[in-house]
Amino acid sequence: MGRQYEIPVGAQHISLLEPLHFKFTTENEKIIRTDANVYYVHRGIEQACCSKFKFRQVSFVVGRVCGLCSISHTTAYSQVAEKLLKIDIPKRAKYLRMLVIELDRIHSHLLCLSHVAENSGFEALFMKTMQYREFSMELLEAVCGNRIQYDFSIVGGVARDLKPEMGQLILQRLKNFMPQLEELVGIYQHNRTLSLKNKGVGVLSKDDAMRLNVVGPLARAAGLAVDVRNETEDLLPWKEVGFEMITDTAGDVHARNMIRLREIYISIRIIQNIINGLPESALVTETKAFPDGEGTVRLEAPRGELFYYAKGNKTQVLERLKIKAPTFSNVAGMVHAFTGNEYGSAAAIIASYDPCLSCTAR
Amino acid sequence: MKKIETNLADLKKDIGAFYKPELHHFIVMNAVQSGDKMEVQWFFNDYAYPGETTCFYALISPEEEVPGIKDIVASAWVAEAELVDLMNIKVENTMKGFVLEPDFESGPLLKKK
Repeated sequence: MGRQYEIPVGAQHISLLEPLHFKFTTENEKIIRTDANVYYVHRGIEQACCSKFKFRQVSFVVGRVCGLCSISHTTAYSQVAEKLLKIDIPKRAKYLRMLVIELDRIHSHLLCLSHVAENSGFEALFMKTMQYREFSMELLEAVCGNRIQYDFSIVGGVARDLKPEMGQLILQRLKNFMPQLEELVGIYQHNRTLSLKNKGVGVLSKDDAMRLNVVGPLARAAGLAVDVRNETEDLLPWKEVGFEMITDTAGDVHARNMIRLREIYISIRIIQNIINGLPESALVTETKAFPDGEGTVRLEAPRGELFYYAKGNKTQVLERLKIKAPTFSNVAGMVHAFTGNEYGSAAAIIASYDPCLSCTAR
Repeated sequence: MKKIETNLADLKKDIGAFYKPELHHFIVMNAVQSGDKMEVQWFFNDYAYPGETTCFYALISPEEEVPGIKDIVASAWVAEAELVDLMNIKVENTMKGFVLEPDFESGPLLKKK
């Protein structure tokens, strides 16, 4: 038995650009125990949403929970508010919500992949992935008005329409992106250096993923077929626009990379189907009702299941709003999957989890 | 959402009888103030389509300690630790200081009287 060392990583760390703190206990370079805490940036957004803002304003507030998956938060909140208001939204608004969610998923997955490359010591691939990601940011800005934190979903529908020429621009840019995506898949799948750093590293088994209630690409890479888009058809018709579940079995960093890359193909297909079959209708369902009763909504954000609980009391201000971010569900699995790995692999493993503490600490 | 009422004495028995890791996904815990009482909620989802959400809930007084379900749902420690910090609820075998710093104001999400 070797000497044991405790190594802190975070809350400010070169390989962990999130306010999350891990304390690794290592023995002969192997991680034998991990402790974590997330107590650095709690912002009290839930409390603000139930005291300082009216329920229609809350969709703009929760859009600030996260810069990366802002559309997931505004959509999930809008959906739960619409449940409490007992309204259905126009079909065109549903399609436009799905379009922005999938554009957002493309940029989020590419960002995660670039961080994995960087934390694996492959800076050229980091730069290439970030360069190729730029088109998705430009499209989001064109569609929503902002590169991040787009207030696109509002209670009752969406805030902006998609003009036909904008739809054609998106299709053209996606077509231009396809060879770049093929190139990235080739590198992430076959590059020897990256394989040495990613294959067999940070393995989370299917049984552990299930036992620890892991969500998102982390779960699907372990073989656990969980995706909210596969389960809820009542709020957004995912299967109608070509959703398909992607899973792997290896459960390692490499498998998470490949899951994200393969999901980008699905996102592209969904966006193409949405634009080619965009129904004509109004954008918003108007109502003068106030939220009443309680309800929940689950939505597949880029990192996995996002959960909103809201309780209304027939006034302008909500009684309670609860947000559960995907990373929150993955904390237990993340802590578990470090054990047995070399400390030197920790940076790549962390990046492959794609943690978002902005969402988690909200 | 299907709501099932329980109480602190029967909580572990009820959730233990319901929860099967291969069938159910534990989502999160939540708490809602209800007068002088607190409604503590445990949310689960069925893996099978169409994914029904089940909510176990118990009405508790602020001084009561909620049994932990970590031995039934392995990942529940995260949600339990969050409720301890944000809602100042006592949970069995759970310390303050996971979501907030240990010396932070207790229960910042509680409504001010």
